[in-house]
Amino acid sequence: MYRSSGFDFSNSIRNHSLAEKGLPLPKVTSTGTTIVGCVFKDGIILGADTRATEGPIVADKNCEKIHYISESIRCCGAGTAADTEFVTATISSNMDLHALSTGRKPRVVTAMTLLKQHLFRYQGHVGAALVLGGVDVTGPQLFTIHPHGSTDKLPYVTMGSGSLAAMAIFESSWQPNMTREQALQLVTTAISAGIFNDLGSGSNVDACIITATGTEMLRNFVKPNERVEKERKYTFRRGATAWKSESIRKLIVNEQVTPVAGEAMDVS
Amino acid sequence: MVGKDCVAIASDLRLGTQALGISSNFQRVPVSHFSRVCPSLTICQVFPITDRLYVGLPGLGTDVTTLYERFRYRVNMYTIKEEREIHPETFTHMVSSTLYEHRFGPYFIEPVVAGLSKLPTGGLKPFIAAMDLIGCINFAKDFVVAGTASSKLYGVAEGLWEPDLEPEDLFETISQTLLNAVDRDAFSGWGAVVHVITKDRVISRTLKARMD
Amino acid sequence: MASADGGAYSYSLTVFSPSGKLVQIEHALAAVSQGTTSLGIKASNGIVIATEKKSSSILIDDSMIEKVAVVCPNIGIVYSGMGPDFRVLIARARKSAQAYWRVYGEYPPTKVLTQEIATVMQEATQSGGVRPFGVSLLVAGYDIHRGPCLYQVDPSGSFWAWKASAIGKNMVNAKTFLEKRYNDDISLEDAIHTALLTLKEGFEGQMTEKTIEIGVVTVPTVEELTAGKEGGGTGRPRPTFRKLTEEEVKDYLAL
Repeated sequence: MYRSSGFDFSNSIRNHSLAEKGLPLPKVTSTGTTIVGCVFKDGIILGADTRATEGPIVADKNCEKIHYISESIRCCGAGTAADTEFVTATISSNMDLHALSTGRKPRVVTAMTLLKQHLFRYQGHVGAALVLGGVDVTGPQLFTIHPHGSTDKLPYVTMGSGSLAAMAIFESSWQPNMTREQALQLVTTAISAGIFNDLGSGSNVDACIITATGTEMLRNFVKPNERVEKERKYTFRRGATAWKSESIRKLIVNEQVTPVAGEAMDVS
Repeated sequence: MVGKDCVAIASDLRLGTQALGISSNFQRVPVSHFSRVCPSLTICQVFPITDRLYVGLPGLGTDVTTLYERFRYRVNMYTIKEEREIHPETFTHMVSSTLYEHRFGPYFIEPVVAGLSKLPTGGLKPFIAAMDLIGCINFAKDFVVAGTASSKLYGVAEGLWEPDLEPEDLFETISQTLLNAVDRDAFSGWGAVVHVITKDRVISRTLKARMD
Repeated sequence: MASADGGAYSYSLTVFSPSGKLVQIEHALAAVSQGTTSLGIKASNGIVIATEKKSSSILIDDSMIEKVAVVCPNIGIVYSGMGPDFRVLIARARKSAQAYWRVYGEYPPTKVLTQEIATVMQEATQSGGVRPFGVSLLVAGYDIHRGPCLYQVDPSGSFWAWKASAIGKNMVNAKTFLEKRYNDDISLEDAIHTALLTLKEGFEGQMTEKTIEIGVVTVPTVEELTAGKEGGGTGRPRPTFRKLTEEEVKDYLAL
C-alpha cells in the first residue's frame, strides 16, 4: 500500500559528510511572511501576504499561505514552506478521517491539538509557525501555534517575520465586536504593514472570512504591487540562438490505411 | 517556461565536482522514454516522463540518478495500476511527497516539471512547477528556475519572459535566458539542451554554448 | 471428518476441498446472503446505492446505524452481511484513500480503491488465524478517468464492475427485477425510484426514511470539474458522492 507518514533519515549521514567536505545543504524555500488572524462579531478573518523567499531571493511572488484544514477551519503558515504545506495537509487529512468516523463537523481545538502534538514531537525541527482559525459548534476560535508546539488563544494574533509590523496595527486599532467590513479592513491594513515594512513579506493580500454560515476565500483581495506591463517587447528574432542538433518527436502518428480488396481475414 | 499552448524546459549539460568539470554530456533531462537507452551522445538531466511531461533534476549527480530511477519505477507502477498516463499535477505531487519523506536527510535535488495537462474540456493547458529540495511546490504561471545558476536565471527570465509566446519564440526566449544566466555562473554551462513541448510534437535542440 | 456440507475441509480456511472449493469462503457468502438486501444501479448521469436498514428489535436506536458510508468525497460504499466486518473495512478504505491523497494530491479512482479493499479481503482468505470477511460490498464512485463506476466486492476478494447489482437476502429476486427494469439510458432520478421499487419487492414491514439508506454519485459538469481543478474557493473539488438526508429519502418514498 502507500507509505504512511514518517520520515526517512537514510541520507542524513551522507549529507553530514558532504557538509564537512564543503557541500552545504541548499537553501530551502521559506515564507518570511506576515500572517494574521482576528476575531470579529460573526467569526474569524485570517490574512496573509503572498511572498515566498529562498534566502535573499523572491522564489514565488504569489504563493498561497492560507491552507485548507476543513470547510470551516483554515490555517495560515509561516516558516519553512514545505513544512507548513505538509503539516497542514497531514492534519487536514486526519481531520477528514476524524469527521467521517465521528459523523460530526470537526472542531478547531481538535486541529490545534493535532498540530501542536505533531510539532512538539519534532522539537521545532518541523519549522512551521501557524495561525489557526475557524468556526465550530463552540463558536469562533483563533489560535497561534509555534514551531515547538506551544499555543496561544487570543482575539487577534500575528505570526512570521512581519508579525511586529502587523501587531502594531492590531494593538492600535483592534476593538471588540467589529463588523465584517471593519475587521476585513483591519486585517488588510495589518498585512499591508507587513508587505511594505518587512522585507520577508510582499506582493498581495490574501484573506479568508469564516463565519457560522460559510467560508469566503478572498484570494489576492488587494494587489498593491502589481507589475506594470513592459513598455516594449523583448522577443528575440527567430534564429537568434545557434543550435547544433535538433530532434523532433512527433506525438501524432499519421497513418494511412489502404483497404485491400478481397475476402476479409478469417478471425473466428 | 510557459508559452501559448506550449511549454519549454531547458538545462545546461555540465557535470562537475565543484570547480572541476567532469563531463559535458550529463543530461538533466534524459531524452529516452522510460528505460530505452538514449542513442544520442548528449545526455542531459531533463527526463521525459510521458509524451507531454518532462522533469528536470538539477543537483547532486548521484541523487539525479537515484531519484530519476525511483520516479521511473513509481511512474511505471502508476501507469500499470491506473491504466493511464500520469498527469503533470499528479506527478508533481508524487515528486513532492517523495522529497518530503526525506525532510531530515534530503536529496540534493530541486526538480522542475514542465508539461501539458489535460483539461476536463479535452484541451491541453501548459503546466510548470518547481520544488525546493524538501518538496515545497511552486506552481508558477510564467516561469520557474532551479540549480546553481538560479539567482541569475530569476533576473534574466524576469526581464525576457512575456506571455503567449509561440513555440519558436519561446525557444529563443528560454535559450537566451539560460545561456546568458549560465555564462555568469562559474559552475554551469558546457553546452545546453532545450525541449519545447507542444500539443503535437516535442522539439529538442542542443545549443551552441561557451565551453569554459 | 464428519459434517453435513464440507466435511473436515469446512474448518480449515486455507485448505482446498478435493472438489476444489474453499468451503469457508462459501460459508462467508452464506453469511452475506443472510444480511439485508443492498443494491446499486448505474444511471446515465450518476449512480445510486441503496439498502434496507433493519434492526432486530424496536428498542434499538436505529439513528446510530450507518450502512451507506462515505469513503472520500468521490466514493461511497454499501454492504450486506456482518456489520462489524464492514466497520473494519471502511476504516481501512478511508485510510487508504487519505494515504493516496497525501501522495498524489487527489482522491483515488474508484477502481484503485476497490482494488485496495479487495486486496484486504483476499488476504483474509489466505492468512493464518483469520477468517474471511462476512460482507459483500457495492462500491460506487466517480473519477475523471473512468467516469461513474459501480463495483461489487465479495468475501473471496474478487470484484467486478456492474451496471446494476444486488447483494444480500433476496439478491436473486432483486437481480431478476433489475434485469427487467434496467436500460442503458436510465436517469439518476429514475434509477433511485427503481432502486426503491426493487427493495420494496422483498421488504418486510414498512419502508420509511428510517429504514432505507440511499447514497448517490452525481457526474459533475465540465464547469464543476474546471472549478475544482483551478482552485476556486477551496482548491478542493466538490464532492461527487453524498448520502441522501432522511428528508430527501422521505420525498422519494412519497412519490
